[in-house]
Amino acid sequence: MSNIGELRERLRSPWPVLDCHVHPLDCFGLYKVETPEEDAERLIASAKRSGIVKMILFSLHRTTPREPTMEQCQEANDWAMKMTDAAPEVFLPFCYVNPMYPDESVEEIERCVGEGKMCGVKLWVARRATDPGLDPIVEKAVSLDVPLLQHAWIKTTGNLVGESFPADVADLSRRHPDARIIMAHLNGIGLRGIEDIVDCENVVVDVSGGDPESCLVEIAAERLGHTRVVYGSDAPIRHYAVTLGKVLGSHFSDDQKQDILWNNAARLLPEWAGVGLLEDAL
Amino acid sequence: MIVDVSAFSGAWPSHPVHGRVEDVVDSLKAVSVDRILCSPLDGVWCRNPHLYNGPLYRACADRKDLLAVPVIDPTMATWEAEVGEAVEMGAKALRLFPNYHGYSLEDVTSLWDPIHTTGLVTIIQTRMEDPRRQHPASVVEDVAVKQILELGGKRPDLKLVIGGARTGDIRSASEVLRGNENLYADVSQADGLDAVKVMVEDGLAESLLFGSHAPLFIPHSAVARVITDIDDDLADAILGRNAARLFAIQ
Repeated sequence: MSNIGELRERLRSPWPVLDCHVHPLDCFGLYKVETPEEDAERLIASAKRSGIVKMILFSLHRTTPREPTMEQCQEANDWAMKMTDAAPEVFLPFCYVNPMYPDESVEEIERCVGEGKMCGVKLWVARRATDPGLDPIVEKAVSLDVPLLQHAWIKTTGNLVGESFPADVADLSRRHPDARIIMAHLNGIGLRGIEDIVDCENVVVDVSGGDPESCLVEIAAERLGHTRVVYGSDAPIRHYAVTLGKVLGSHFSDDQKQDILWNNAARLLPEWAGVGLLEDAL
Repeated sequence: MIVDVSAFSGAWPSHPVHGRVEDVVDSLKAVSVDRILCSPLDGVWCRNPHLYNGPLYRACADRKDLLAVPVIDPTMATWEAEVGEAVEMGAKALRLFPNYHGYSLEDVTSLWDPIHTTGLVTIIQTRMEDPRRQHPASVVEDVAVKQILELGGKRPDLKLVIGGARTGDIRSASEVLRGNENLYADVSQADGLDAVKVMVEDGLAESLLFGSHAPLFIPHSAVARVITDIDDDLADAILGRNAARLFAIQ
């Protein structure tokens, strides 16, 4: 059995990892939590076992409504901020807003990012990325110099009404060429979604969403360039280490792996996030 | 010893895979897998899946590391002969794809007596791909775990493995799985934070089997799923000890 200990060490990331896609357990997962502090503690305990030291965090509210009210967005963001207060060295919170309410969303971004120093903006499934309601939100993110993480999928079983396809994210990137966009769910958008964003240099894709399918991360790196691929787990819906295996178990050089696991996301974050490149941290 | 009860070789029509037998073996040995129970991927979609069992037997011949798990389609006229050949070839298990081959487990009652007689383990694959990610012209729904539990209830003499079920589906079967020496679940498609740890806390440490779902999935992810959150002894059980007991593998 000592071999299992050796195997565990061998399969762990040899470098610290920055996970760009994490939700509180208050939203998803197999554990019930009562407080933001307990939420932080449980997420961090699991993350540490996988070698993850920093996490971009966004709450979608404990009831995960697809079209949240702005009050629900505020509650979600307050939860994420309290988790960050509990572990400021770990969490990099993003501000969750709803493009159905563009003006109120801009106000919430000002509260959370402008004043609260959250590190980015998160958009989910209330409206597709082609919706003009996103425009003031993205403009605000650009003016505050923070990235935006946009959910995307191509579901054979049918996307939700407000759920973005990767082609919608491409449209958003063309409308806002100065924005820094993280498109979520490489394993949700698949081989066809990669092609939708080939020409969108301001879009990177995270490797979350779906199963650890072979070849996909390598194809994304080949088609987009490996600097446009970032590690994200979608924990607690997914397992940190299972998703890490998509990168560690693929055919990349060590330098490429370090970029995907840390540097590519670090370059997107604002200065106040305090996240340097991996070579500086080692 | 690490035993992978859910590996395949061959091609998959909608996604590129490195599916040659030696590629699959190499990818699994790279993460220290010692014994590979392998089924023909091409048998999932072929109208006669049995055509791919012969080449698999030949690829596995005289190898200790690679064990053939033939695909049986009980709606084919020749299924009984195919089961007989599996016994002759020394197979330890069969794999069924009720959803891809178009039948329900309760419709194939004549299958179970011969399988019981052979003593072969029956792996019932519930899922090959997330339905949300399948090719739109070929959507195949999961086999309901409930069907397998009902079969196990009616035929407790059969040795059954729930293949490719999700975490929630395995947990929903916890009461039936716990302490049942003839019913197991592989964790090849279990996901979620602490998934295996939580299932172990449900009392399933002796009921879970390691599976990679290679070459469709990445073996590194499969092993990491098991070893990251639980201690060495529990990991040893899931990675190999349970399978060694069930399949009589040394």
